[in-house]
Amino acid sequence: MKQTLKIFKVAFQAINKNRTRSILTMLGVIIGVAAVIMTISAGEGATTQVQNQISGLGTNLLMIQTKSEHKAGINVRMGKPIYKKDFNILQKNAIYMPKLSPLLAIGAQAIGPDGYKSTMVYGVSYDYFYITSKEIQSGSFFSDEDVKTAKKYCVIGQTIREELFPGQDPIGKQIRIDKVPFTIVGLLKEEGSGGMGQDMDDIVLAPYTTIQNRIFGNRKRGYNMILASALSEDHILDAKIEATELLRESHKIKAGDDDDFEIMTQIELQEITSNITGILTLLLGAVASISLIVGGIGIMNIMLVSVTERTREIGTRLAIGARESDILTQFLIEAIVLSLAGGVLGVALGVIGNQIIYKAIDFYIPTAAYSILIGFGFATLVGIVFGYFPARKAAKLNPIDALRYE
Amino acid sequence: MPLKKVIETKKVSRVFKNGDIEVHALTDVNLVIERGEFVAIMGASGSGKSTFLNILGCLDQPTSGEYYLDGVHVNKLSKNQLADIRNQKIGFIFQSYNLLSRTTAIENVELPLVYDRTGRFSNSKELAIKALGEVGLEDRIYHKTNELSGGQQQRVAIARALVNEPALILSDEATGNLDSKTSIDVADLFVRLNDQGKTILMITHEPEIAQFAKRMIYMRDGRILTDEIIKDRSTKESALKDLELTTEPIK
Repeated sequence: MKQTLKIFKVAFQAINKNRTRSILTMLGVIIGVAAVIMTISAGEGATTQVQNQISGLGTNLLMIQTKSEHKAGINVRMGKPIYKKDFNILQKNAIYMPKLSPLLAIGAQAIGPDGYKSTMVYGVSYDYFYITSKEIQSGSFFSDEDVKTAKKYCVIGQTIREELFPGQDPIGKQIRIDKVPFTIVGLLKEEGSGGMGQDMDDIVLAPYTTIQNRIFGNRKRGYNMILASALSEDHILDAKIEATELLRESHKIKAGDDDDFEIMTQIELQEITSNITGILTLLLGAVASISLIVGGIGIMNIMLVSVTERTREIGTRLAIGARESDILTQFLIEAIVLSLAGGVLGVALGVIGNQIIYKAIDFYIPTAAYSILIGFGFATLVGIVFGYFPARKAAKLNPIDALRYE
Repeated sequence: MPLKKVIETKKVSRVFKNGDIEVHALTDVNLVIERGEFVAIMGASGSGKSTFLNILGCLDQPTSGEYYLDGVHVNKLSKNQLADIRNQKIGFIFQSYNLLSRTTAIENVELPLVYDRTGRFSNSKELAIKALGEVGLEDRIYHKTNELSGGQQQRVAIARALVNEPALILSDEATGNLDSKTSIDVADLFVRLNDQGKTILMITHEPEIAQFAKRMIYMRDGRILTDEIIKDRSTKESALKDLELTTEPIK
């Protein structure tokens, strides 16, 4: 123990003697550790945000849509579209889904008095506001009655207001969508950007009946999906089973045949996105780890130079009684101390970097505690692995040759 | 009671093999050095004196023959045991000092104690200061090695060789890098250390330095050619006087 302490002291002296070189060597590890911490934290931050977004989508949400399959990267609808008939059956018979709304989505230009804006227009029912927990800032939602009578009313998001009615109260004003004039009855509260970077306020909501009648006209078109809210969190699975049974009946699917629709619950959606972001985080972390390995090679390089440069010193130490293990320990400790110090500074840099990004682009990144552990642990491992080879080279020197080394 | 014989070699030979060629660096060398002796080994390059010193210093082992250092049969020892023997029984002095650069004198002198595993030294700092005092550097203790002259650096190295209280001090051309006057100072320091009872074995090229020793061994072709007691040993005064005579400008 005492012996190890003495060797530690010797290693520290050597690092201190070559201060500039030591700091430059550490730099690789510092950057590597900071990169690992920042990428993992960014991944975690994105995951948290997406998860919040999904839970913000609504309460006990179920999404019912036509089955689609990925073929060569393209979404191909496989089953029968979901029509009004299906929606009616659900609305009439469902016990576990008290709130239901069709969703008809079209990309369109919303034309105001002074300009226009490309946006997404959603045809929905009154229940949609409840299902997705939308909140109104001024005006009101359109009512059940408005939906039934297919009124040309709409509710707009903050981005649309800013673009088309800057500094004005948009309530009561008109916008045209696909040549159909809509009267604005409500303005939604600001929601900010989504986890994938999309603008949640770039939205126009209108009664689905109006969209169906006025914009699609006679074209027979299925709903993009039906959104439903389960009775309670405990009934989400019941609601899913119920919807499946009702839709199989409606689509006349024989027993034993596969469903031609998909029902995704909020929990499933969370799991899927969490998987995707998890893979993303892992990938980013792996890339960052490569920089840490490069840093380790830097340490090995410098340690090899150091061993060559200090051959005489090593010879002297061996001559006056250092054992091979003493020399090995000394150089190994040097490498580990370098990488550990680099690790500590890297952690600091990573945490500070996260703060800077937060200040700069307003994307909150909580520094993941485990990223610090990974970064730091990996730095130590790098020190041991890349320090061992030069240290062994030093320890195996023949004292007679080492003493004569010029 | 310490043993009388510090060094005893019996028919020590060292053969280097380089492919098919065998080089006989040492052949059947028998030597006994007793406690308190001051021996100079001379010889041309290739005479085997360095090989012999490496073996005596436990840096190398003989191909055949036996070597006893302070009663320990060195041939049978492992690498670690050899390292420990070097640490406990030998003080090395090298031609180019081999001090740690940019390190204080005291840290250099403490170095052998860093590797001590016997625990026989309680206060390494105190011992290092004492050793530096013995070589006359009590006012240079915290100077860094690069702030010292060549002669002072060699004194630090000598202090380092003394600090572990070795049975034997081995000097390999200790004066080889020093000017004549400083060389005489160092040789004189050896004499004084020997007077205090230290056993010293030094290799040197310079006859005037060898003349400070009590006994001179001359080697050639890996064998001891002559081994005799020096009758008219040099002293610092006589050597300096000779130096003056030889360096007087030619008129």
